[in-house]
Amino acid sequence: MTAGEIIESGNLELYVCGALPANEEQEVLMAISKYPEVKEEIVRIESVLMQLSKNTAPSLTAMVWSDILSTIRSVKTIPKDTATNWASVLGWAAAILCLGGIFWMMNQNGTLKEEILLTQEENMELNKSLIEVETELATTANLFEILQSKDYKNIPLPGNQAVSPNAYAKVFYNTAENLAYIDIKGLPSAPQGKVYQVWSLILDPLTPKSLGLINDVTSVAENIYKFEDIQVAPEAFAITLEPEGGSETPTLAQLHTLGTVTP
Amino acid sequence: MRQPDELILEMQGGNEMAFARIYTLYSEALYGIVYSVVLDSAIAEETLQDVFIKIWNNSKSYDINKGRFFTWALNIARNTAIDQTRSKAYKNSKKNLSTANFVDILSGSDSLNRSTNAIGIKKFVGQLKPICIKIIDLLFFKGFTQKEAAEELEMPLGSLKTKNRNCIKSLQTNVLG
Repeated sequence: MTAGEIIESGNLELYVCGALPANEEQEVLMAISKYPEVKEEIVRIESVLMQLSKNTAPSLTAMVWSDILSTIRSVKTIPKDTATNWASVLGWAAAILCLGGIFWMMNQNGTLKEEILLTQEENMELNKSLIEVETELATTANLFEILQSKDYKNIPLPGNQAVSPNAYAKVFYNTAENLAYIDIKGLPSAPQGKVYQVWSLILDPLTPKSLGLINDVTSVAENIYKFEDIQVAPEAFAITLEPEGGSETPTLAQLHTLGTVTP
Repeated sequence: MRQPDELILEMQGGNEMAFARIYTLYSEALYGIVYSVVLDSAIAEETLQDVFIKIWNNSKSYDINKGRFFTWALNIARNTAIDQTRSKAYKNSKKNLSTANFVDILSGSDSLNRSTNAIGIKKFVGQLKPICIKIIDLLFFKGFTQKEAAEELEMPLGSLKTKNRNCIKSLQTNVLG
């Protein structure tokens, strides 16, 4: 088609109105780039139609433009804000940090509470052992006082050369109160199934009397045992190794220590 | 009017000044389209605002190499105005005006009182052949496709094209001189 034919076809008017189907629109576009006169014609048609349209309506008020401007400005700033809204980013970061901090502190608080509980338990344990130590100390101090006092006779019980030459024991004997403390630190520990038995002796005629066994019943402190109710003023003290439960009469073959009471 | 391609490109780049110039160049013509559809100056101004906001927001979807900017904007104006007439608020305020065309509007006293240009053009448009009024109204103001317009007017496509061309030509001779 020549430029003139295209112009005369009436397609250019439809093109400007936007009434052409896509394929014919394409043809017009090609003609525009090919023929300057086609472009000129389109400009003319457009001008006529715009002129017609302009004159169809009452005049516009200035408010329209100012409203458009304020709308596009407020619309324009919103996406800009969301793109680089550092205040918001900072705000969220702070909120997350704050939340994290709260969790951390709660966690810390829990740990500390557990630690307090543990410490309290430890304290209770320590208190208990302190009381034990204090009781022990008091007992020991008490014992020490007893042993130092003049009311007690200090009787060494050397080891029987035949049975236990290195053994020794000590008796602290209170004649007024008929009781004695026995220190057995120097005795070897009793073998399995055997027990040490303490005796008071009258020497002439030899009369042994059992005072009791070295066991939990008589123990008052480490290696110290207490025997009460010593009826007959004994002339000597002896310790024998007896079968478990003790014996009626001392087994002289197992006499470990023996000491006489000095008048 | 030659198409201001540079202004259009600047507007597409987000230049408000360029957009303001585009508004000055095209607002009246587009307002005429909108007004011919909604037939109320207050509603038409509101609709025109929407039209230009759409032009601004969608400016990048217009391609200088693929058609006239005016045709592109014309399409937005017609669609926005037609959408407006479909709104419930519009239906409640306006009734039975769908038969009006641009000549009816020109003849109306309302537009005459407001627009001085209208006086001159009214005289001329009044002399347009009734078939021209119908054709231009459908194709230009109402946005019918050529096929739809031919069916509406019960006219072969070829003669619709020829008649339309002649109508616009006579407008050109009389309006633009």
